[in-house]
Parts: sequence; C-alpha cells; structure tokens
Amino acid sequence: MAKRTLPRLLQTPAVILLLLWMLVPLGMTLYFSFIRYVLNSLRRPEWTTPSISNWRGFGNYEYVFNSKDFWFAVQNSLFIVVSILVLTVILGLAFAMLVNRSFPGRGIVRVLLISPFFVMPAVNAVLWINMILDPVLGLNGLAVEGINSMIAGLRDFPVLGAFFSLWPELEPISFRATQTSAYAVIMMVTWQWTPFAVLIFMTSLQSEDEQQKEAAILDGAGSWSRFINLTVPHLARPIAIVVMIQSIFHLSLYAEIEIVSRGNGNKNLPYLIGEFTSNNIGAASAAGVFAVILANIVAIFLLRMVGKNLMD
Amino acid sequence: MATVDQSSKFSNVFWPIVAWVVALIFFFPIFWMVFTSFKTDADAVKPEFLFSFKPTLDNYLNMTENYDYWRFAINSVITSTFATLLALVVGVPAAYAMAFNPSRHTKDVLVWMLSTKMLPAAAVLYPMTFLTKNFLDIYDTHFLIIVVLCLINLPIVIWMLFTYFKEIPKEIIEAGKMDGVSTWGEIKDILLPLAWGGVASTALLTFIFCWNEAYWTVRLTTTEAATLSKLIEGNRAPEGLFFGRLSAVSTAAVGPIVVLGWFCQKQLVRGLTFGAVK
Repeated sequence: MAKRTLPRLLQTPAVILLLLWMLVPLGMTLYFSFIRYVLNSLRRPEWTTPSISNWRGFGNYEYVFNSKDFWFAVQNSLFIVVSILVLTVILGLAFAMLVNRSFPGRGIVRVLLISPFFVMPAVNAVLWINMILDPVLGLNGLAVEGINSMIAGLRDFPVLGAFFSLWPELEPISFRATQTSAYAVIMMVTWQWTPFAVLIFMTSLQSEDEQQKEAAILDGAGSWSRFINLTVPHLARPIAIVVMIQSIFHLSLYAEIEIVSRGNGNKNLPYLIGEFTSNNIGAASAAGVFAVILANIVAIFLLRMVGKNLMD
Repeated sequence: MATVDQSSKFSNVFWPIVAWVVALIFFFPIFWMVFTSFKTDADAVKPEFLFSFKPTLDNYLNMTENYDYWRFAINSVITSTFATLLALVVGVPAAYAMAFNPSRHTKDVLVWMLSTKMLPAAAVLYPMTFLTKNFLDIYDTHFLIIVVLCLINLPIVIWMLFTYFKEIPKEIIEAGKMDGVSTWGEIKDILLPLAWGGVASTALLTFIFCWNEAYWTVRLTTTEAATLSKLIEGNRAPEGLFFGRLSAVSTAAVGPIVVLGWFCQKQLVRGLTFGAVK
C-alpha cells in the first residue's frame, strides 16, 4: 500500500489550488455580506474599510430582498435562461434528427451547424446587435426598409394598389429597448448554444438501438411514434444534461447583457451584482450569496447525475 | 414494404435539403461577418452594396492602426497558451492519480472539483478585484489571467483526462510498476504516449475555452493584459459607422478558433458533459 501513497499525492496540487480558488473569495463574499461596506461614503467614512465593527447582520440581505431591481433581475435571469433552454432543446432535437442520416455533404452540414458555438461571446453579441438586429443599419432595418419600399411600389398598381395602400408602413423593432433587448440576448445565445445541444443529441442518437427500431418498423410503427416511443426516452438523459449544463452557464450570462444594453432595463443577476459592486459591496455580496444558492440548486441535480455513472 | 420504400425515397431528398437550408441559415451570421469584413465602412451600411461591392483588404491591413489588434491578440495567445499548459501540468498528475490509484474518496473529490466550476463568477467579483488589486498587486497582469483561466478550466481538464485515462487498461500501468518504473516514468513513458490523443484534445478544448472567456478577462484587466474579448467588448456600439473594420477585427478574433473547433467537435461532447454522454 505504501507504493500507492506517492501516486495519490499527485492530486494534492490540484485539490489545494481549487480549494483556495473556491474558499477564499467565497469566504470573503460571505463575510462582506454581513457587514456595512461601501467604496465611497463622505458621510460615513468608516464604512469604506471592511471591518467586523461594521456588522450589519442580515441587513444587506434585507436591503437586497426589498429592492425592486433585485427581484426584477432574478425574474429576468430566469426568463432568459428558461427561454434559451426551451429553444435550444427543441431546435437541437430537430437538427440532430436531421443530420442523423447519411446524405451528400453531411460532414459540411455538421461543421456549419456547429460553428456558432466557437464564436467568442463578445463577438457574438457585437455582431448580432449591430449588424443583424440594428433597426436602421442592420439587416433587420434593411429588410424592413426593403419590404416597405416594395409595398410602396405596389401601391402604384391600378387595382392592387388600392389594397396595398391600406397597408401600414412597417416599423423595424429596436432591440436595444428594455424588453426587446432580453429577446436579443435570447436570440444570440440560442444561436450559440443550439450547436451544443445538436452535438450532444447527435452523439447519443448514434448509440440508439437500431435493432429495436427495425423491429418497430416491422411492427408497423410510424416514424412519429418511433420518435416519441423510442428516441425521446433514449434521449431523456442527454436532454437533462443539456438543460442543467446550460442553466449553469446562462445563469451567469454577462457579456451579452453588457454589450446589448449595458443592462439598461435588461439586468440579470450577475449584471446587478456588477452594478452593486461599483459602490455597495455589502449588497453585492448578499446578492452574490443568493446567486450561489440559485446555481447550487441546479448543480446538485447535475452532479448527482454525473457522479452516478462515474466509476463504471 | 413498398410504401416504406416510396416514403423513404421522398425523405431521402426532402430532409437533406432541409438540413442544408438549416445549416446555411445557422452559418449565415458568421458568413455575413466575414463577407462584411471585405467592404469599406461606407459600403457596409449602404443597401445598394448589400451583395455587390468592390472587395477590399483595407480593414485587415488597418487593423493595427484602428484597434491595436495585435497587442490584444498576443495577450490572448499568451494567456490561453500558458493557462492551458499550466492546467495540464496540474491536471495530468491529478487525473493519473485518480484513474489508476483511486481511493474511496476519489469520486467525491471529482464531483467536488466540478462543483467549483458552478460557482457564479459574479458572486466573487469584488473579492477577486480586492485581492488582486489591493492585496496581491497582480491586477491586470498576464500572470493573473493565466492563473484564473487555468483555475476555471482545471475541473474540466481533470474530468476529460480522467475519462481518457480510464480507457487505458490498468494492467499496462501495473506492468510498468512491476518492472520498477518510477511514478514519473509511468506517466511520461507509458501513460502519455498511450493517451496522447486524449491529452491533445483536452488541450485544444481548454485553449478554446480560455480564448473565448469573457468575464474575468474583461473584469480583471485594464490595458496590460487585456485580451481580444476585452477589445471587442470595448467596441460594443460603433453606431454603424465602422461595420467593415469591426467585422474584420471580429473575424480575425474568432476565425482561428472556429477552425480549431471543427477539429475537436467530438471531444467537445466529452469535455462539456464531463463524460456523462459518450
């Protein structure tokens, strides 16, 4: 057994590093969440240095929970995450089924489909909000303008013109406004993460039992009933994993929110924490602790699932 | 059976066409970015030049002047490369220990490591700023970004390596032990040559994640160690005046990584699902 001690010790650097990385900042966040701590205060300069004598108990939590911004941010975070999840799972399933058959150029189709996943989030957001969704200069604006001028042209026709003159001028949607900027974020993140769902569903479709499928065909099962009764149950686990991993990533969505709207009316929890951090560290920390708890609720399920088939 | 044949004849034409159309639509934003990068800034916003225009390379040639591109690109290369190497140096021995000399707690340790990945970054934003600025004085240094990128990817690195190492028969490693090979020799001469493919794809994927990271690289840098994420983020609203040059710099920032990504599609599944989907 002595022979095994050294090899086992090889994991200690990794364990220690991760332990420090987790405990030190998190411990500080926990501590700051219980004291009064602001970066600038002319009135109460003693609050600008972290000290146990500024103990506030649950005051920061109370402050955060009573702020309208906080609940809006939580709601908005969940709205964005859930929308992305629903869209990516549905699109991912559909696309994975599409490429799960052999046809000419399948390799290229897969490469094209998967590419968005590797685009860095900052570029993704800048590209979408400016070049595609901008109501004047983006493709969004250009397309609406094109349709408008087409309708305007049709108005000159003798009979049809009367019909088209009843049509209103279309207005392009601005995606920098309060609610629509959440839609913009959902769109761009869905674009980026659908490939991830496709990849995972594709991998798992390849391990589907072909014999079972053939037997079902012989029994006269239609393709829809084969999909519902055989494929979907087979994919239950990958779907759960896609949902959980994405929840963890998207609960901490930041770059997209910042770039699309600078959080202007479209805050999520990480963005709100960032805003608190510019002055009220106590509140930022309390909101941070809440974010940790929220992420952990999801994480526990994921870890259980991953841990279960770990050692086989 | 005749009906099955007929319907499959139809679907053999129809569904591949749908697949192609979907793939082209999905790729369109990337295509559009590359396409626009060859237009001048003025042409890029004129509908009449939407598809026909005089292509120019000026946007690429002026990238240094317009954006100081190379400074950010070099920072990205440095931080991503060294973070990946550091993660491997720490991760390979750890994964080796866990795969070949597991203890009762190995499973818990692995799951715990993964749980560190799930900590929302925003929750520890201020402590990290405080520690690195006021306490350690390493804010906005390459060193800091390398360490942070290494740490946020370390759980994934160890998990991926672990799943690859598990596939190597234990007997081979044991045989080396019988012959009196040292632990270091076991890793270097037996394990690494056997698991070379796995280590390489782990490295590739880690590099991609480091390159695309957009929270810590933005929040923990100002100028010295700022990466491409920071550069692009700083140009979030160019008001349409600079679509051409912005597309060029974006293409240069993501191009190499997208191509790298094509080569490690399969590993991506393993890396992102922690071996739960194979």
